[in-house]
Amino acid sequence: MTVVTLAVTSSGLETSAAAIISVGKADFTIAQKGVSEILSSTIDTGERARIEATPGVQSAVGVLVETEKINSDNPVFIEIGISPTQLKQFGVTIVRGHAYAPTASHQCMLGWRAAANLGLHVGSSFKANGTVNTVTGIYSTGNSFGDDAAMFPLPAIQGYNRVPGIVTLVFVKVKPGYPVSKVEQSINHNMPELTTIRTASQFGRADRNLVYLKAAVTGSTILAVIIGAVIVGNTMLLSVFERTRELGLLRAVGWTRRRIVGLILIEAVALGLIGACIGVGLSFAVSTGLEHLPALRGILHTNFTPMAFWRALYTALGMTLIGSLYPALRAAFLVPLRALSYE
Amino acid sequence: MSDPSPAGSASTLASGEGAVEQPPAIELHDVVKRYRGGVLALDHLDLVIAKQEFVAISGPSGCGKSTLLHLIAALDAPTSGTVLVNGHDLAKMHDLSYFRRREVGLVFQLHDLLPRISVLANVEIVMYGTHRSSRGRHQRANELLEEVDLGGRGSRLPTQLSGGERQRVAIARALANEPGILLADEPTGNLDAESARRIMELFGRVRNDGVTVVMVTHDEALAAMADRTDRIEVGRIVSSTRNR
Repeated sequence: MTVVTLAVTSSGLETSAAAIISVGKADFTIAQKGVSEILSSTIDTGERARIEATPGVQSAVGVLVETEKINSDNPVFIEIGISPTQLKQFGVTIVRGHAYAPTASHQCMLGWRAAANLGLHVGSSFKANGTVNTVTGIYSTGNSFGDDAAMFPLPAIQGYNRVPGIVTLVFVKVKPGYPVSKVEQSINHNMPELTTIRTASQFGRADRNLVYLKAAVTGSTILAVIIGAVIVGNTMLLSVFERTRELGLLRAVGWTRRRIVGLILIEAVALGLIGACIGVGLSFAVSTGLEHLPALRGILHTNFTPMAFWRALYTALGMTLIGSLYPALRAAFLVPLRALSYE
Repeated sequence: MSDPSPAGSASTLASGEGAVEQPPAIELHDVVKRYRGGVLALDHLDLVIAKQEFVAISGPSGCGKSTLLHLIAALDAPTSGTVLVNGHDLAKMHDLSYFRRREVGLVFQLHDLLPRISVLANVEIVMYGTHRSSRGRHQRANELLEEVDLGGRGSRLPTQLSGGERQRVAIARALANEPGILLADEPTGNLDAESARRIMELFGRVRNDGVTVVMVTHDEALAAMADRTDRIEVGRIVSSTRNR
């Protein structure tokens, strides 16, 4: 249960965090290298200019991403600062209303999911960043992360957060005919303080928290395996003690040591698999419960992947085999006569 | 016929009158068994049992009867001396599990059936690791239960049988791999007279089918139902009596 719960929650966190890079419909995303979390990344105007000047770059859309607690249902509401002239390059389609003005200070657009969740529409007032903003349009990005957010003029959101000229991420599109990897290599080489991200698995290059989280999950899994193996070992050892006479009888009537080891291991594996099935069921309940905790609502999205279940399966098998090896060997090396006189 | 001479004379008896050419099933030569702490269980014991013979080993408690049986079954090793079964020196045998599975069948005083599996499965369990298929094991176990008059009770749990019935299941189990030798340690010890009589009849039938039967008992009357009775006292054979 522990292994599956950790796997689905960390996978959910990774998916949520990595979703940000797929909003922009870019060939790759650029962030500051090695920051504690991706939203702490800062890229200044000089770096943006160098990115735009890199051979093969067709467009480089800089966005500032911030989070804000809107209400208890939206504890980490995403706000994206982007120039209205780059909305199309960013993959934004306005479905109702129109874009905000480039330098407007009290205008915004809402993703269609956010608008639906908040019950707002074009012309509504939306309080964010300590100001009341008029919703000028409703947009769609085709990405749930982007559609659950709000967009503001870039200078306005930079002003609210007192980071003029700074963006969090730069979404790069490569000119047709240019190999994406070559452009990436060029940027990584010329600007070592930045890093390019193309897939969710590369996300850790920028976001150290995710790397730490994954390390914590791996550590916890190893710990769970050790604790599980000790519990399985204890259970099987108790079973061997209880059945000393029976096992001695089997040895006395000609069962080989190998067959006794096989018997104990098969019993342990059967127990382990039953435990794994129950654990997976419980992890569903626990993960879903965690997802709905007020403190985690909107932050934690569990991600039940087949990998999580395979992980449960091989972890269960691993811990039962490790844990039952000593009891199996102990059973195999029972002296039949002594075992038969065991009370 | 009673021969009061001690150990060694059993060999003479076993190999006498028409059985001279028969190679022995069991031979013990100058066997000593001393347990930790110095307790002497067998004291320079010699014994020969011919094939297809039904021998009862009798004597008082603690005289070394069961120890003798354990040595023949390769459940224990002598401190010194030689134990030969079907001509094989047990001390030189590498695979004693195979020996116990194929050469000898064991019946214990407490019948020792596995309580959580059926009577049929209890008989089948000793046939794992042999050439028999699952179906073959099933068929053989059913045949054996028929032979010990327990046909139709294979699906029951051992706890649902009487003591005598359980002991007959144990005998069926001991015969499952068609061993040449059946070793029984006080098989009637916990049974009433009628059940004990039926077990003895069963041993007689088994002997008639060509199996050597060695039974340890402290009951002189039951011992007299065997072909021969060897009496042990303080680790030595003190008399050997041919009953028929």
